[in-house]
Amino acid sequence: MTDRVERLMSQAASLGSWGAVARQQGEEVAADAHFRKAFGLALEAANQATDGGSHPTRLDALQVAARFALDCGAVIEARRLMDEAFSAEASTKFAEEWMQLRDVTAWPDTWLIAAVRRDPPDVQALDALANRYWKSLFGRCRLLTLNHQKASDLAQEAWCRVLRTRHALKPGGNFPAYLTTIATNLWRDWYRSARRAGPMADHRLESLDAANPNEDGESVALVDRIPDLKALTPEDQTLLAMDIDNALERLTPQLREVLVARFITGESCAEIGQRYGRTEQSISGWVRQALREMKLQLEGASRGAAAKA
Amino acid sequence: MSTRISIEELLRWRAARAEAEAPPAPRAARLLEMARPWWEIWPERFQSFVERLGRIQVAYGHAMAEPRQSHTGHPVPALIVRAVEELETSVRVLYLNVRDGRLRLRFQLDAATVQAQESFEVTFVSDKPERPLLSATAIFSLDGEYRIDTELSEELAHGWEPLKVTDRMPFRLILCSDKDGG
Repeated sequence: MTDRVERLMSQAASLGSWGAVARQQGEEVAADAHFRKAFGLALEAANQATDGGSHPTRLDALQVAARFALDCGAVIEARRLMDEAFSAEASTKFAEEWMQLRDVTAWPDTWLIAAVRRDPPDVQALDALANRYWKSLFGRCRLLTLNHQKASDLAQEAWCRVLRTRHALKPGGNFPAYLTTIATNLWRDWYRSARRAGPMADHRLESLDAANPNEDGESVALVDRIPDLKALTPEDQTLLAMDIDNALERLTPQLREVLVARFITGESCAEIGQRYGRTEQSISGWVRQALREMKLQLEGASRGAAAKA
Repeated sequence: MSTRISIEELLRWRAARAEAEAPPAPRAARLLEMARPWWEIWPERFQSFVERLGRIQVAYGHAMAEPRQSHTGHPVPALIVRAVEELETSVRVLYLNVRDGRLRLRFQLDAATVQAQESFEVTFVSDKPERPLLSATAIFSLDGEYRIDTELSEELAHGWEPLKVTDRMPFRLILCSDKDGG
């Protein structure tokens, strides 16, 4: 590697590190600027290597430049560099590192989001990002809405909201958590609109804020129904899914949301409390209440099933 | 036989089952089309609404010269767009807070004759309305107010952070009864 190329690559690496730090701190404007400069330097290094450096050095520089291009969402430039590397050395097509670069489904969220933020957004990157999180998003929406079509509508609407403000997306953030939050907020808006007063009014939740003993996870005895969840027949699976849905439906929307956030999304009570403007202890009380209500419903359903059998 | 199983485990099982039953993810092209805001789909309609908003400002000019004697601020010209009608009115901002890049806004419709509805898709328009500043959903609350809680761009968050409810608002509003501009 010539001194000049080496120097350029070293500068690019430093800028790339700064970019990564800025991105982690949520300073996307600074991160983008660092990655762009790093990309420019790596590109210059690749050009220098073409003129007087070795072939592997040029390929290395092209790969580094392509990675920095993806860091700042410059997908077209990155693909051009990949093509250039392939033209220079056909074997790059089969080299593992280059294959990962070419395969958009293998890109980390940061690259996909950086590509979606751009104007126009990269359609392949958006497809990859939507596919990556669609099922988990739909699963949460299904538990919230308890309806297949509504879950699908809610998940799509959440994506639309994300895309309408896509320029503000933070590639260094927790994208799936953000997507789930958008969907949850939308669902909350929906049910507030649909049932402005009634059983989920705040005053009812106040009564749940009182301290309760033990925060052990509730368990439920499902008489003669579940030797093993995995061993259930398809029919029993359908019945159990219906029982769970019924039990969830009897919860207030807030309790259902809290249960999903706590046990499916994996949020802590403190994190959920921040969203609701409540203390960790309050949310912990809500969780316990939701578990108790679920337990009552499920055991009732189980006893009913056993009596019929 | 009785087996005890945690509700947490049951919920995870149910979520996994729901995920397995998920329809295919929508394609990027469809998502982008669905996400297109109404003013991009119908730019002429947007322009005509903006022009009408400008006229409301003239009509409400006297009222806007001096804020009413209350803790709320200047009326903000607004155009309500419904499928069958467009109604010129104004809204009264009751609360405005910009913090951590989020806008929290509460407002009331001024026109007593305007029938309340569960939500509006609110488009914020500036004095130079080549394109809107922002679009967000306003939800009708028990108190008879509409509430907005939405993320702002860095630029807007920075510009609006010092705003107080008694300040003249740097926007006018188009209130659509649904997201496609009525």
